[in-house]
Amino acid sequence: MNAAAEIQGEALYAERMSKAFGGLKVFHDVSFTLPPGGLLGVIGPNGAGKTTMINIISGRLAPSSGQVRLGDTRIDGRPVYDNAGRGLVRSFQQTATFSGYTVSDNLRSALRFARRDLSVLERLAPLLDQFGLVENWNRHAEVLPYGLQKMLGLTMALATQPRILLLDEPAAGLEKSERSNIDAYIGFAQREFGCGVLLVEHDMELIRRLCPDVIVLDGGRLIATGSPGEVLNRKDVIDAYLGGGEEDDDAEH
Amino acid sequence: MTTATATVSGYLKQKAPFFSGHEWITLGIVLLAFAIPTLTANPQFLSQANLILIAATAALGVYIMLRLDLMSFAVPSFMAIGGYTVAVLSLRLGVTDVIVLGLAAFLVPALCAIPLGWLILRLKGVYFVLVTFVLTEIVQLLLFEAAPLTGGSNGLVGMPAVRFFGIELWDNSHVLLTTTGLAFAGFLITAIFTRRFRYEFAAIEKNDVLAESLGLACWKYKAMAFAVAAGVSGLAGFALVNMLMTAHPTSFAPMSSVNYITYTIVGGKGSILGTLVGAILLVSATDYFALRGELSPGLFGLLIIVVTLLARGGVIGTVTTLVRSWRGKGMRPLADGAARKAPKGGA
Ligand SMILES: Nc1ncnc2c1ncn2[C@@H]1O[C@H](COP(=O)(O)OP(=O)(O)O)[C@@H](O)[C@H]1O
Ligand SMILES: [Mg+2]
Repeated sequence: MNAAAEIQGEALYAERMSKAFGGLKVFHDVSFTLPPGGLLGVIGPNGAGKTTMINIISGRLAPSSGQVRLGDTRIDGRPVYDNAGRGLVRSFQQTATFSGYTVSDNLRSALRFARRDLSVLERLAPLLDQFGLVENWNRHAEVLPYGLQKMLGLTMALATQPRILLLDEPAAGLEKSERSNIDAYIGFAQREFGCGVLLVEHDMELIRRLCPDVIVLDGGRLIATGSPGEVLNRKDVIDAYLGGGEEDDDAEH
Repeated sequence: MTTATATVSGYLKQKAPFFSGHEWITLGIVLLAFAIPTLTANPQFLSQANLILIAATAALGVYIMLRLDLMSFAVPSFMAIGGYTVAVLSLRLGVTDVIVLGLAAFLVPALCAIPLGWLILRLKGVYFVLVTFVLTEIVQLLLFEAAPLTGGSNGLVGMPAVRFFGIELWDNSHVLLTTTGLAFAGFLITAIFTRRFRYEFAAIEKNDVLAESLGLACWKYKAMAFAVAAGVSGLAGFALVNMLMTAHPTSFAPMSSVNYITYTIVGGKGSILGTLVGAILLVSATDYFALRGELSPGLFGLLIIVVTLLARGGVIGTVTTLVRSWRGKGMRPLADGAARKAPKGGA
């Protein structure tokens, strides 16, 4: 119940993780560590396997080899709800809400499924207000603008008071003006709940602003690790992005 | 406290009632059936009321599974398990207490549903439909083949009348009272069960991947729903066997599953009232137009197509929408939230 009091959780370890779908090798031998309460950026061109990685860590897919650990507990291949119960909660690249239900009921559902008290929403009130969810409290999720739906989905993940958040391109599809919401969201998660955050993102500005460290996935391998400043200036990283056809998802082509 | 926090706190104090109006109306209508024997002794009318209540209770099995977006053809199999359990208990073991029999008619199918559910609840969409239909065919076959237990093609005949605290319930009006009691139990269980877990069921219906990612163990709720649906169907099976004083395989024909699905969909699958209204309308219509045997599944199939194409919400859904838009022309805002917009810039 009192997540803020036990801020220091366990680190998330990905160890020599590989994934293949039949003959298609998505990535191979990827290892990294997300320290408790830390923030790690993950970048890579479309199709690099970032969403697949989140699916594996959350338990939706099993890795082909390697393992995922939360502290000393091995969690790969465990049911998604089990991992969520351990405090490992993911968001979705596309909007994900319960359609036909109001903002209020969506948030209440998240709290119920995570066995959290309604009062969590009072703590989240400043964020809910900033995102514009309070003024839309009794509207159905599916009639909200895309950006609001996305923020609702993200807020539902946060309302479970996770210890580790896996965010799959939270800024994708948001207007430029709405992107500061993501800064506020991640800041709040770290400050108030002590969340560790794995941030998959295409918005390099956002990555530069927020992440002390990033890893780069390309061609099935982890090609670089380090601070955004150095990693994003490396030639192989720039090539990977140009090869992938985009540097920013607002690019014209 | 900031303005935003105060506004959210205010919203959190608003509580939805446990039962909606539809649950109350439904339970009220079923209760009214207790009064029928005091109003009329017309055997035609009594038997009609019996058939409606049994049909409605059976269709609850469909209603419950539709909460999870699963279309179940398994209702007749669990009715059969409930009905034959009662017949075996009363004929072979001399149990006639209606409460004991009712408990058995609920629990035995519910327990059978747990291992079956473990096998088939991982299926979705058409695969689930197909397997539940096959299940009904298999149960039908077993009823014919397991003659030592089920009496085979003769069925189990000559059941003694059931007793309620020692009072024998034997004539037409007593049979209706028994049926009404079983139907009320079925509706009450269904209403409580579906309302108690309404967030869970709605989430599984709309987006089970999201629900799991927030921590919901979806399989537990599916297994529970399948078991409760089986138990409620079992109560309907009891009522049917009690009315006919016979347990016979033809009472649980696989094609009858289409009827139960039709009641729920035509009445409106969004609300428990839909199942009751669908059964009332369609069982009466079947009788009125003297539809028999093979004809009704065909016509019912046609009716499902019409409803699916023209009025998804069925009778109750359509009426509710009409009433809402009517009232909407008046003053009442849809939800008081709109009137209580958070003042901007205060936070
Ligand atoms: N369930 C699946 N079955 C087969 N191939 C898949 C599946 N999920 C993803 N892929 C493939 O794996 C690759 C990586 O996809 P994804 O993880 O979505 O990339 P990203 O999120 O980095 O854009 C793509 O080539 C995609 O087509
Ligand atoms: Mg992706």
